[in-house]
Amino acid sequence: MHDLLDDYAHSNALRDTSPRLKLLLGLGAILLCVSSATPIAPLFIAFTMSLITVRLAKIPGRFYSTLLLIPFSFSLLSAVVVAFMHGGGDQLFAFNIFGISLGIREEGANLALLLIARTFGGMCSLFFIALTTPMIEIFSVLKFLGLPVFLVELSMLMYRYIFVFVDQAAMIHNAQVMRLGDAGVKNSLNSFAMLCSVLFLRSWEQGERLIVAMDARCYDGKLDLMEQAERAKPRAILAVAVYLVAATAIAVLTRGVLLL
Amino acid sequence: MTIILETRSLSYSYGDETAALKDVSISLQEGKKVALVGPNGAGKSTLMLMFNGILRPSSGEVLFHGRTLRYDSASLREVRRKVGMVFQNSDDQLFAPTVYQDVAFGPVNLGFPEDKVKKYAGYALQYVGLSGYERRPPHHLSGGEKKRVSIAGILAMEPEVLILDEPTSNLDPASSEEIMDMLDELNCGGKTMIISTHDVDLAYRWADEVILMEDGGVLHRGTGQEVFGDAELIKRARLKLPIVVDLYKELVGRGLLNGSKPPRNVLEFTDLLVSGNRGTTSQEVLLGKIYICNVDGPDLEGIKGILEKVHASYTGAMGTNAKIMAEQARIPLDFTYGVIDKCILKALTGKNSLIMTSGGMVDHSVKRIRVYCEESGANIEVIKLAQPAESSMNSDMQKVLSQKESTTLIEVAQ
Repeated sequence: MHDLLDDYAHSNALRDTSPRLKLLLGLGAILLCVSSATPIAPLFIAFTMSLITVRLAKIPGRFYSTLLLIPFSFSLLSAVVVAFMHGGGDQLFAFNIFGISLGIREEGANLALLLIARTFGGMCSLFFIALTTPMIEIFSVLKFLGLPVFLVELSMLMYRYIFVFVDQAAMIHNAQVMRLGDAGVKNSLNSFAMLCSVLFLRSWEQGERLIVAMDARCYDGKLDLMEQAERAKPRAILAVAVYLVAATAIAVLTRGVLLL
Repeated sequence: MTIILETRSLSYSYGDETAALKDVSISLQEGKKVALVGPNGAGKSTLMLMFNGILRPSSGEVLFHGRTLRYDSASLREVRRKVGMVFQNSDDQLFAPTVYQDVAFGPVNLGFPEDKVKKYAGYALQYVGLSGYERRPPHHLSGGEKKRVSIAGILAMEPEVLILDEPTSNLDPASSEEIMDMLDELNCGGKTMIISTHDVDLAYRWADEVILMEDGGVLHRGTGQEVFGDAELIKRARLKLPIVVDLYKELVGRGLLNGSKPPRNVLEFTDLLVSGNRGTTSQEVLLGKIYICNVDGPDLEGIKGILEKVHASYTGAMGTNAKIMAEQARIPLDFTYGVIDKCILKALTGKNSLIMTSGGMVDHSVKRIRVYCEESGANIEVIKLAQPAESSMNSDMQKVLSQKESTTLIEVAQ
């Protein structure tokens, strides 16, 4: 059952807290991460956000850590490249390969660390939003923030049908695999192309059926006001404010500190 | 009987080659349960889409309440509100990201103010037994729940006619029966029901009128017994006989049974068999009683109190309210569909049974049992359990209860 982030968003322990507050916390933390000059504040955010997600929202730690492996592997790869490419400062480490000297200098190393920290902090904050706030509530916040209604409604329809098409794609894929459509690279590519074209046609048909379904219920250009989401509790607002201020303070106070 | 929907020489073709409907003229009476049966491609769905103006006939006309359907947007809105349609595939119908938004879609587009939308959507969800599901996304629902939400979305617009395309396809037997039980409940509330189905057994026992379609035309129409009595016609329409009819024909063919027309259901079949054998078994069985408990009045404790006094071997619940109540009170249910018939069958074998139900279904049940008694000559005692005026209840409880007027403790109906 639980294989999509969306499933957790609907069942986590923070499901019923105010979506605006959760977005404020997540987005605030992301902004702090990308604007912080040193890795300390992002690392603090990464650590605390993970704690909040696993402890408060009760997302299984195992699932969460496998989820984090994705950004971790990406950021590690790019950090290695950055570390080698950037010059300046003392040589920390060097080796010779086919007569070319490759080395890591201080500046490069610091930049690489910052990169990893920022990515991690940002991803932890993003996962916090994704795992605790259902899309529907994010839509309602977007509407509240003044995004044009038609854009919000269009996104809602798209969101709804993602799941229909995920199911269909899985079924088509199964049908292909059952008849060895994944045997060999050539076959796999061919099957994938077929899957895409069939899915496109199906979504087209689904669109037509959608119009019929909406017309059958007197569609008049309105898709509904959202149910009122939970109001934020004063204690929760205070906690978020304290957290953001603390994180900002750390970012400001440690701006001159270098790890290496 | 007033005619609510009518078609006059209706024809329709998709594209320009294939004619999906050919000269269909039928009239449907208000408050009836109608089943369209026929093979794939017979034109059932096409005909259904004509009833609320989704498809426009190539020729001929559709009449709603005796007025020809016009295809300007104001008339279409009107007819689509009154004639609600539930699609076969729930995923086609449920397009909103949450259950509440989907149910509220119709009322919102009818331009109702916000509090009215809330009220209607809340009422519709309660009716289908899904209160508390408001914020769920459709992809987290089971097939049966999706179907219920689809029906709620239509109910929220207060239609007079409900059209359901293959309502039980892709549902497990229990879910199907629950959906059909709900359709009966709605019909009991005065709504005209039209379903299309391949399930001949379902159409046979459920429908007041069966319309047999084949190749875009109407082959035969009438009661289930009339339509399914003609084996040749059924074969031509690539259908099969309902089990009850098949068995009846076999037994009549062997001279084991005699009857003028096939029985409609298990109850009638049993009666037919028993009356055939009555000559040999002379002793009369002592008949059981049927208690009918109205769950509208008392609260959970009240219900439990009432039920403790009754000695019933079997318990059944009819309608969503009663089923929810039974679940809350942890009352094990023996019957959740076809409840009245099953209880009569048990009464005939001398067992007492209890029906939990609500609203208009109470009188419906009493009437149904009485009609049966008159037809069969059996004298089954029906006991309506109303709300007890118990002295042990505290005053608060009494205040709440006294709002619903009900003074009789036990009303003996027979």
